[in-house]
Amino acid sequence: MKLENTKAQMRRGVLDLCVLSIISGSEMYPSDIIGKLKEAKLIVVEGTLYPLLSRLKNSKLLDYNWRESKSGPPRKYYSLTNEGTDFLGGLLGTWQELNHAVNQSTKKVATK
Amino acid sequence: MKKTVSINLGGFAFTIDEDAYVHLNGYLSTIERHFSKSEGCEDIISDIEYRICELFQEGMEGRQIITQKDLNEVIKTMGRPEDFGAEPIEDGYTQPKKTDEPLIKTGKKLYRDKEHGMLGGVIAGLAAYFGVKNALILRLIWLVLAISGGIGVAIYFILWAVVPEAITASDKLAMKGEPINVENIAKTIEEEIDELSKKINDISNGLSKKRNKKDDSSKSYGNGFTY
Repeated sequence: MKLENTKAQMRRGVLDLCVLSIISGSEMYPSDIIGKLKEAKLIVVEGTLYPLLSRLKNSKLLDYNWRESKSGPPRKYYSLTNEGTDFLGGLLGTWQELNHAVNQSTKKVATK
Repeated sequence: MKKTVSINLGGFAFTIDEDAYVHLNGYLSTIERHFSKSEGCEDIISDIEYRICELFQEGMEGRQIITQKDLNEVIKTMGRPEDFGAEPIEDGYTQPKKTDEPLIKTGKKLYRDKEHGMLGGVIAGLAAYFGVKNALILRLIWLVLAISGGIGVAIYFILWAVVPEAITASDKLAMKGEPINVENIAKTIEEEIDELSKKINDISNGLSKKRNKKDDSSKSYGNGFTY
């Protein structure tokens, strides 16, 4: 079992939650989402985001609008659908439970 | 001096070195192949192309032409499809199988390999086709055929006329029967660059030898004329 794989899986598990949260604030343009994810060190390569956005869009959690841009062709802006907002709510609840549970169970190790 | 290609990537016009163009093309088709079966494949690819444009624009800082180096940076940032790791989590426990083999398998093709050939590159091309490392063996067989009745000579010239020369990187891969993917094209280009730099070294060594000789002769005139 490789440590890197397990780490990557942990990150991947929370990626949907993070992307949905980032978009929930306001309509977002993929490159801005990438900026935030990289800042938080959640993704290693940028390519990770695009199939994920497409998957969330196909599950009808996201939708996008085309908007004119000053510096080039129109850009896609992603936003949450109502379904997406509900989905995010559900994920957030689970995350808080998990966060608590993980803190509880790793307390001994973490304070050493 | 290098040849350049004009491209339209995500609605932006770029000028790109030819070797970088081949590489970029390969990279984009790897991504396309990787997602060809997913729903929304076109969306993914157009978004990625658009992002690649932005990265080029950021990285170029006003320069005119995209080079191989710029492309390498972009690929490093964007990652290869197998590193995206974006498959849904339910099939995430088994690592996705790495598919190095392209969907369309490229069979070997017979080309003339002028780079390693003596005359028209026919025998070097045959050697590559049959996977014979040392073309000398084939040359000897040819020689025997040529001496005994002259069939070898006739065959040689027919092949020379009929078989195309391997010119592009993908020709050279097809010649050796290697699958045409980004890694292999990059490898071929690297090999070419190595060979080229060797040649340049040889030439410059030759020149410096000549110069030394000239230096000696100019000394005898005493006019101190140097290059």
